Amino acid sequence: MATEAVIVARDLRKVYVLGGGVEVHALRGLDLEVRRGEYAAIMGPSGSGKSTLLQILGCLDVPTDGSYRLAGDEVADLDEAALAGIRNRRIGFVFQSYNLLPRATAVDNVALPLLYRGVPPRERRTLALDALERVGLADRVHHRPNELSGGQRQRVAIARALATEPDILLADEPTGNLDSTTGQEILALFDALHREGRTILIVTHEQDVAEHCERIIRIFDGQVAANEVVATRRRLDGGVVGC
Amino acid sequence: MLIENLKTALEALYGNRLRTLLTLLGVVIGVFAVTTTVSLGQIATAGITGEIQAFGAQSLFVIPESSHPEGRPFTDADIDALSRLPIEILRQRSTRAWAIAGEERVRLNVVGTTANAPLIDRSIELDRGRFFDERDEQAAAQVIVLSADAAEEFFGTGPALGRELMLETSGGNRSFYTVIGVKKRVGGALGAFANDVSGDVPLESLYRDVPGVPRDRYDFLPITIALDRDAGEIEQQVRAILDRRRHPDSYQIQSIEGALSLFNTITVILQALLGGIGAISLVVGGIGILNIMLVSVTERTREIGLRKALGAQPRTILQQFLIEAVVLTVIGGVLGVLLSIAVLWTVVALVPFLDVFVIDPWIIALALFVSVATGVAFGVWPARRAAALSPIEALRYE
Repeated sequence: MATEAVIVARDLRKVYVLGGGVEVHALRGLDLEVRRGEYAAIMGPSGSGKSTLLQILGCLDVPTDGSYRLAGDEVADLDEAALAGIRNRRIGFVFQSYNLLPRATAVDNVALPLLYRGVPPRERRTLALDALERVGLADRVHHRPNELSGGQRQRVAIARALATEPDILLADEPTGNLDSTTGQEILALFDALHREGRTILIVTHEQDVAEHCERIIRIFDGQVAANEVVATRRRLDGGVVGC
Repeated sequence: MLIENLKTALEALYGNRLRTLLTLLGVVIGVFAVTTTVSLGQIATAGITGEIQAFGAQSLFVIPESSHPEGRPFTDADIDALSRLPIEILRQRSTRAWAIAGEERVRLNVVGTTANAPLIDRSIELDRGRFFDERDEQAAAQVIVLSADAAEEFFGTGPALGRELMLETSGGNRSFYTVIGVKKRVGGALGAFANDVSGDVPLESLYRDVPGVPRDRYDFLPITIALDRDAGEIEQQVRAILDRRRHPDSYQIQSIEGALSLFNTITVILQALLGGIGAISLVVGGIGILNIMLVSVTERTREIGLRKALGAQPRTILQQFLIEAVVLTVIGGVLGVLLSIAVLWTVVALVPFLDVFVIDPWIIALALFVSVATGVAFGVWPARRAAALSPIEALRYE
């Protein structure tokens, strides 16, 4: 397993200015390193800044201050076009609320990031169908989101994140809107992706979910409070694996 | 990427058919309102000016100045003197007489004129029968061409041609005339002035059968000028000839344009009014398009955020919205213009007063330009604003 740090964040700060000039400090000088191929959970109470962190790591938002190096590149130095490129090629982001285009079919939703990468239509379709097959939705490719269950929608979203073969998969409460059985299926999918060697970060507030990972990063009040190595990882194949 | 984006834009438009339809409706109504109001003004104007021209735009009326001591009527000698000019002069006298046909006894305006009157006075058009010819004129035949109103007064809807009419003049003279023709009703804006209960008879017949109409006295001279002649120049020549024959102040020359200056004023006011309404429609239509585009794009802020999160370049997003806006406004604009043409055409076909269909290509161009420009400006501006947000801000947008 490669051990180079793919994510290096130093002294990250994020301040939201609400109406009336009220400032909310979501991140207060957070430091974090994530190695390539790592499978980590980010946990913390509501308002601790865990989602903000994930969004900044996914280049969906920019920090107010601090340094974030992604695979060696200082993100603050990148322009809008380069950031779009990173979001498109390096990062697969899975949202809690799926964020699918409601009027597009599953295969069109999955093909969307490939469109923005400039992949020709035929190849796009092939790649999207492959990705859907990997998440077990080969028989649902022409369904629209409203014709799919929550678990199926999340799988479409994961297929969309996978279709571009990103280095890093970021998931914000991916099981938050799902029942526990469906949640387990989604986690099994992440486990399998981890075994393929992908770097995966999952934001969650469920200990069960976090224990699928190798490491739990505990965030409290905008800073990393603790890094825990998961001694006994949960696995869906019934077994519990020692680390 | 452009073709992909065009496809994406069309899919987005098709995918949200209701929103697309409502936006289209806004554009259609905006363009329709502008094109229709402005064109309606132009059609009305064209209708009026067209009639004025048909009535004899190239006409002069020479009238004695009755307040002047030498302001006597014109004579045949005056007409002969003017005849060397390239003009037609109508010798015409009229008087009132009682006319009786069966039970009907009507006060009729009897006009004595010449056989060439229909050539000179373009308002004379025959509905049935014929106008009297030169032989009737030379023979002073007892034939009469009735106005549409007169024919209706005497004979109702029944046949008029070949019927006899008895003229009874003040001295108790009675003479029988045969109806040989019925004129068409003068339509349009000038009809109110031109339609009357009258009958045209040969001039010589009038002199013979209606005592008290002296010969060689014309109270006014209607002059028609060939359309390719300069009316102003002819007027100067008429003046030059008449000035040698009588005192320059003892008569006046009116052109029909002058007589109809009131109409021109009305026309100008009408155009200004409808132009103003058109301008307001343009603004209202523009605001309608603006509004619907603004709403349509703003409610898609989340979609823009998602596309950005998946790696869309801001340029690509703007292009998509630009294409959507152009497609919407162009289709809406064309539909609006077509609808406007259909409505205007129907109006022209149904309203007798309006008979010239005009639609100014500049108005179409202006309406289309405003619709596309506002559509693009207000489709792309909020999209640009949304694309400038960070993806997560746009995704969070409610």
